[in-house]
Formats: sequence, structure tokens, C-alpha cells
Amino acid sequence: MASNISGLGPQENGLSRRRFLSAAAAGVTAGSVADMTAIHGLRSEAMASELKKQNKRVILLWLAGGASQFETWDPKPGAKTGGPFRAIPTNVTGIHISELLPELAQRMQHTAIIRSLNTKIADHGTGADLMECGRVPDPGVKYPDIGAVVARELGRLESKVPDYVSLYTSTEGRRKGTSGFLGARYSPMFLSESMTPANVVRPDIISEIDHHDRAALRDVLAKRFTTARRNQAVNSHMSAYQRVHGLMASADLFDIEREPESVRNRYGSSQFAQQCLIARRLVEADVPFVKVARAWWDSHGQNFETHQELCADLDHSMSVLLDDLAERGLLEHTLVITLGEFGRTPNINASLGRDHFASAWSCSLSGAGIRGGVAYGKTDDEGHRVVEGEASAGDLFATILAALGIDHQHEYMLGSRPIPLADFGTNPIREVLA
Amino acid sequence: MRVDLMHLLQRFALIVVGCLAFTGVRAQELLPPETEVASAVDHYITEKLQSRSIEPGPAADDATVLRRTMLDLAGRVPTAREHQWFFDQPETVRRDVLVDRLMQSSDFDFHLRNSLDELLLANRPHDGEFREYLLWAVRQKRPWDQMFRDMLAARQADGVEKGAAQFVSSRVRNLDDLTNDTAMLFFGVNVSCAKCHDHPLVEAWKQDHFYGMQAFFQRTFITRKNVIAEKPFGEVKFKTTKGEEKSATLMFLNGSVAEDKTPSFADDERKQLEQQIQKLERDEKAGYVISASFSPRRELSELAIRDDKERFLAKNIVNRTWLRLMGLGLVDPPDQLHEANPASHPQLLDWLTRDFVASGYDLRRLIRGITLSQAYARSSEWAVDETPPAASTYAFASTKSLTPRQMAASLLVVIRSPDNWPALEDSVAWNKLRNDLENQAAGWSREFEQPGENFQIAVDEALFFSNNDRITNDLLRDGGDRIVGKLKSIEENSQAVEQLWVTVLNRKPSDQELQTATAWMQRENTDRVESLRSLTWALLAGPELRFNH
Repeated sequence: MASNISGLGPQENGLSRRRFLSAAAAGVTAGSVADMTAIHGLRSEAMASELKKQNKRVILLWLAGGASQFETWDPKPGAKTGGPFRAIPTNVTGIHISELLPELAQRMQHTAIIRSLNTKIADHGTGADLMECGRVPDPGVKYPDIGAVVARELGRLESKVPDYVSLYTSTEGRRKGTSGFLGARYSPMFLSESMTPANVVRPDIISEIDHHDRAALRDVLAKRFTTARRNQAVNSHMSAYQRVHGLMASADLFDIEREPESVRNRYGSSQFAQQCLIARRLVEADVPFVKVARAWWDSHGQNFETHQELCADLDHSMSVLLDDLAERGLLEHTLVITLGEFGRTPNINASLGRDHFASAWSCSLSGAGIRGGVAYGKTDDEGHRVVEGEASAGDLFATILAALGIDHQHEYMLGSRPIPLADFGTNPIREVLA
Repeated sequence: MRVDLMHLLQRFALIVVGCLAFTGVRAQELLPPETEVASAVDHYITEKLQSRSIEPGPAADDATVLRRTMLDLAGRVPTAREHQWFFDQPETVRRDVLVDRLMQSSDFDFHLRNSLDELLLANRPHDGEFREYLLWAVRQKRPWDQMFRDMLAARQADGVEKGAAQFVSSRVRNLDDLTNDTAMLFFGVNVSCAKCHDHPLVEAWKQDHFYGMQAFFQRTFITRKNVIAEKPFGEVKFKTTKGEEKSATLMFLNGSVAEDKTPSFADDERKQLEQQIQKLERDEKAGYVISASFSPRRELSELAIRDDKERFLAKNIVNRTWLRLMGLGLVDPPDQLHEANPASHPQLLDWLTRDFVASGYDLRRLIRGITLSQAYARSSEWAVDETPPAASTYAFASTKSLTPRQMAASLLVVIRSPDNWPALEDSVAWNKLRNDLENQAAGWSREFEQPGENFQIAVDEALFFSNNDRITNDLLRDGGDRIVGKLKSIEENSQAVEQLWVTVLNRKPSDQELQTATAWMQRENTDRVESLRSLTWALLAGPELRFNH
């Protein structure tokens, strides 16, 4: 009976049977790649491919809880709000940063500091929503975050690697990230339990050949259902299964044991540093967006001890990451964003802590599309207010998009409602762009 | 005096003319109220198809209609026993008997509860109390207007009713969410656009509407003990686009305004109350209770229920029920119920709304009527080489993604051995089993995402099916209680394949499928149980199980 099926005679060996199944499966799935035209305003194909050719990528170093600008990018030594640490000169004349970041101080040629963020929201949840999505949450619309926007604008539909990876932290700050109205295709691969993503390793009970065969059988049997139905959700189901083996193959990217010992030693043993190494492996393999979160900067008490410890980790990990990216020729394609949900108060409280503060704080951008060696914006002598170059969360969002060569005013149409990539009325900060 | 009277008469005349223009003429054209719901549905759907010379798709076969109806009314696919029972019924009355049987089952209550929960509190953290309230309300056939009143009142009750408060309490810390979610989920109106400017598309929606809605909730707060309360005073002020500051009136979406009966407070009394409220918000032990004599939230529920002009409350749930069962709302998207976005079948929506209100806001009657229509039972397939007509003609049935709970419950049904179900008459055993199934499904449902607009299935789900231990070690076990165990006991491959198809897909395999599957079983050097397992996997991970079609 089986010999009635062309190419699937019982006399043939296992390999050719698989070939039959794979070939049949390929026939089934051609053209069923997720159809995103439902979100109108899809870029023209030519433009999209031109952009994607530039191969831009992003690593977001997320300082969960809110790092102090005084102890990082905007020190105020001697001011009554300044705290005990000194400011040190950097390798760029005229720019001083906190002495807690000595290694980064020697790498300022890659980095632009923005010292004039006024984002107004000083609550962890809403502040993080604001900084990740570049706008205030709106009850009527689920906005995508920066990772999902970059994944959509720079990722490839047929990509075998994930296009948005979010690495966990063992303490607080486990924000999953959201693709909002862009849909689950752009949801982050979220690593919540370990350094390896869930379900990317084949169970021992099934052999690799059988795992592939079974998937091919699935595709063949699915054909009867899918051919008579033109439906975005059905297509997305098919394309999700098509990405399985590619993603399983990318499991190795999360395995730092595959790096030479010298490289591992250079990064060191902190979890943040190791995740930075994973991030480098991912962008090297063309993953467009990787978020690495480092927690927990929320220093309401003992601000200075907390920053001594956390800044040391940030200083070392980010420096090694920048060096490694630069040596591999990746830094010119990779934008490294160092950002949290807000900064910390000028006033030092009774527990020697600094509280939430969103009116005058800092972040940094390094690498792709960025004019290094720039300190943009200014706060007053005690750091209470922005006095020069005030920038909103939306302006920062627009700047990030511009650095990646993405038109920040491009609009997604959600039904009849136009939604620009960066919020209405926001502008990139040209001074920090290359 | 005379002048005043004239003035009043003139105004009255204007109002009458206005009402006639809006509803009177249309109401006369509607089918008579005594029409069967299903007939009214088919009348209006067919009328539009004919007017556009569209030939609708064929009726779906009975097995497909069984599966679809089970998923929509019972929240899961049928068991082999139910399949058998259905085909034992006389052909002409099968569907009616099925719908009536399902509507009396515990399945129906669970599923309607889950559907309402997904609509009203989707993705918000809440404990089981809200779900308990919904189940209680559904079981006692509580009318929708009454449920709406329960949820807005958010009373601190002793019994199961107190769960209703979670609609408000889960949103109380964000006034915009509370305002807009109430408007979207109960009235089908997304007014958030009108927060910063008058609505760009809908002339009738001004900032006054957004802030008017907000004014009903502005006094709502939650005490440290998690009790929803209302302050005895407070108002919403906003800046118009022209920069002038305005106080919002208590205005419903149809323009009706509630009279503000806030008593006046002396300054020191007000100050004292404010202190008490602050204490209530912060201190668990604050003993006193603030009870406002005037409740804006109660005014809102009264205005919405009295609204016989636009009937937002009724029209919204009619449209959302239609959307759930038919895959596309008569008004699409469902939160844009306004004149700039007319219904695909305006008279059908009006007829169903009128019937729903006349029936005393009876969700069951509406659900029954829609699922017994011919439009509901069409095939969801469309010939490959032809361009299908717009989905809004309902010429063919839509293909709907299963909700997480439908998917989880269905998976748990299809992986059981078909021998492993109690007899249909044994309602005690069945109810216990269905209860267990509901609990088990809760855990599995976390692996799936709630479908919404532009829904896509994430690769996480495909990875989960492909590699997670629970799929292999639990669902695909070959014990006697599982489908793989049952298949193992069937000697003839073709019979095993047929059993598998009927159990998982609720239909017999096509000739080609039978050939492919038996060829799969006959591969050399393979273990028979492993082959059965992977064949079963291929169907569990396939699209036909994943969708309601």
C-alpha cells in the first residue's frame, strides 16, 4: 500500500524517506511566512532590505531599579548633593565621569553620554514602561517596546536565530518585555529560569533524525488544513513550527563554554559579565536585539556602597563588551544602550540612600550610529534640574531609532489610527549621532 | 410663564424629532420581535449576500459542526462517546438536541465563565474570587445588566458576590484604565483618543465624553483593607485643546448627564474627611467607614441601563458574543461602536439588541440563537483558486484560534483513551471529571496566549510542543488511560490510524491521510509504539487541533 505514494516505498532507506517528507514539507510551506501586512505601513521591500543589509544590532544593558547619575555619568563632586566619590577625567578631553567607572573612562571615544533626561515618571513599573516603549502607556493601545520595534524593523522574517532575546536577572527586574500590537512574532525569547532558553533542547527520548522526521510528517499532514484557509493566525502557526529547528540550532549561542578560556576569563565570572558575553555571541550571529538586565540599583539605603559594588560590575562588563565588539569589527554595527527606568535624587536621605528621580538623569549610547566622545546636555550645579538640552523618553527613543537608520516618524497604522515609531513631536538628539 | 412653557414645548418637540430620526424609522423596518433568533440571523445575513450576488459557502459537515459547537459552548472538543451520541440522533434535529444538551451541562457554565473572565479581566492579576463570582452568576442565569451592576457597584458583600468587585479593584489604581476599560468592555467604545483632543473621526465624541466618563470613577478609591469605596466629593478638571480649564460633568456616552447631588461640605468638615480618607488608604486599622450619600458609579450604571437610545450596554455584549461565536464582530473592531464605523449588518445588530433587551439581557438565548443559525454552520474552507468574499459577509465560517483554556481542555480530552470516559448518562461521574479537567486545564493554559487583534502564534508554543518533557512524558505516555496506549492495543495499523483521527480531529482520515499514516507506521527499523507516538504528536502539534474551524 505504501508503495503507492511516490518516493515512499518500503524498499527505500530511511534517508530517502526523510527526503520525501522534507521535500513535501517544503512544498507545503512556501509562501506561508507570517504575513504582516495586517499592520499597514509595511516598509517597501526595497527599503526594508536596504536597511537590513546594514545589519545593525542592539544590546541594551538595562540597569533595573534605576542607577544614580551622580555615581555614574554626571558626577557633582563638592556639591552638597554630590556624595563622597570623585570625578575623574576620561580619555576625551573635557569629559569627566564618576571614579566608580575607571575602565569606561578610558573608552569614551565609543560613547555619547546624555545628561539631560527629564522623563517625569519616578515609579518603577510605569517608568520602565515609559523608557522601554518611549511613551506613556495608553489604556487603548498596547505599544511594542524598543526590542520588538527593532526586531520588526531590523529582523528577518526567515531568520533562523531569535530576533529579540531578553536575558534574566536572578534578582528583581524580571520584566518580560512586550511586542504589543506588533504581535507574538516579535515577542522576546525570554530567559527566566536559566542561561539557556526553555525548550530549545531536544528531549533525550527522541533521536535527532526522528525529531526532524516527526516535524516533517506534521507539515505534510497539516497541508490539508492550511491550503483552504487564508488566515494570518494559521500562517503564524506554520511559520512558528518552521523556526523550531533553527532556534534549536541557536541553543549553542547561549553556551559560553564554547568560547575560548581566554575570552571567558576576560569577561569574568559575574552573571552580568557572562550574559554580556552571551549577548556578544548573539549579535555576532545576527540577532538584532539583546537585552541584558542588571539588578537591583534601587538604592534607597546605602546608595554609595550599592553603587561601589554595582558600578564595578558595570564598568568591567561593559568595557570588556565594548572592546570585544570593537576587536571583532562588530561595534560599528552594534548600538550598546545603557539605561534604566530613571535616575536617583540629588538629596541624600537619612539612610544614606538616594530615592527615585526622573527630572534630571543620564544614560549612555555607544557604538553604531553614535558620535563617541560626546557629553550632551547639562544639569544644574547640584543636579536638581536640566539646564541645557532637555530630552524626553520619546526623544531618546527617536535617537536610538535614528542611530540605527530607522525613520523615527514612520507610522504603523493600527486600524485607522496612525502610530509613529517614536511618539508625536519627539526628535532625535542630532548632537550624539554620527 | 407663557414664554417658558413655549420654550419647553419647543425643546420637547426637538427631542421627539431627534429620537425618531435616530431609532424610530429603523425600528419599524426590523423583523417582528417574535421571529426566532436563528431565523433573524439568517434573514439578514442572506439578504446582504443576495444583494451583493454572493453565493455563500456550503454547510459544514456534521462532524465539523459538532466540534465547532462543542468548542463554542463547552470550551473543548467532543469525546468519542459524544461523537457517537451525536450521530445516533436523528439527522434533522441533531444540532438542536446538541445545543440544548450542552446548554444544560456544567461544560457550558465553565466555558461561559471563562469567556467572560477573558473579556473582563484578561491579563490582569486577580485571585479566584472574580472567577467564582462569574461562575455563580452564570449558573444562576443572572441577566447581563445585573452582572454589570454587580461589577460596577463593587460592594463589600459577604458571599460569592464580593468577587464582582475585582473588575473595579484590579484597575482602581489607574483612573485612565478604569475609565477606558469600562467604556471599551461594557459599552464598546474606546474613548482614550478623546483624552487629549476631541475624537478625530467621531464628531460626536468630545473631550467632555472622556472626562465625563472619568468623572464617574474619579471618587473611587481602595482602602488599605482592599475595600472599594467612594469619596463623598471630588471632581475632574481638564484642559481643553484651547487651553481653558473645564470641570467635567457626569456625562454618559450617549450625552445623558446625571444630576450631581453631592452635598456641600464646610471647609473644616471636608478637611477632616480628606484626612480620614488618607488614613483609610494607608492604615489597615482605620476603623471608620466613609459612606458617600451620592455615588457617581451607581449613577453610571443607572444611566447605562436606562440608555434606550444607543443601548451601548446591550449592543456591546451582543456584538462581542457574536464576535466570539462568528469570529468577526458585526462592528469591527469591537471597541469602535460609533457612527463612523457602522456595523456590517446594522439591522441585524439592532434586531439582536432589541431581542436581547426584551429577553431581560439573557445571554443564553442570544448564544443559542446564533449557534443554531445556518450562517454559524457554514464550512470554513474556501476553494484555493478563488478569492473569498470579505469575512464580514459571513459567506463562509471563520477559522478561530482556540483560547488558552479551550486549547488546554481539548488537549486533555484528546490524549485520553476513548475507552476512558464515563457513560454519558452518568452525570455524577462526568461532573466530577469535568471539574478535574477544568482544574488541570488551568495549568496547561499558561503555555498558550490569549488571541486578540492581529493574533499570531508565538514560536514558544512550537518549541514547547517540540521539546517539552510534559508533552512526551505526560500527554504521549503509552499507559492504558492514554490515546497512545489505546492505539498500541489495536493490532491493525489502519484501524489504529482511524481511531487516532477520530479521537484527535473528530473525523475519519481521508484516503491520502490514511496512506501517509500507514506508510509512516511501516517504516523499517522503527519501534511501533514510537511511531504511534510521533504520529499522535504530529496531530497534536498540527493546525487542525489548534483552531476552531
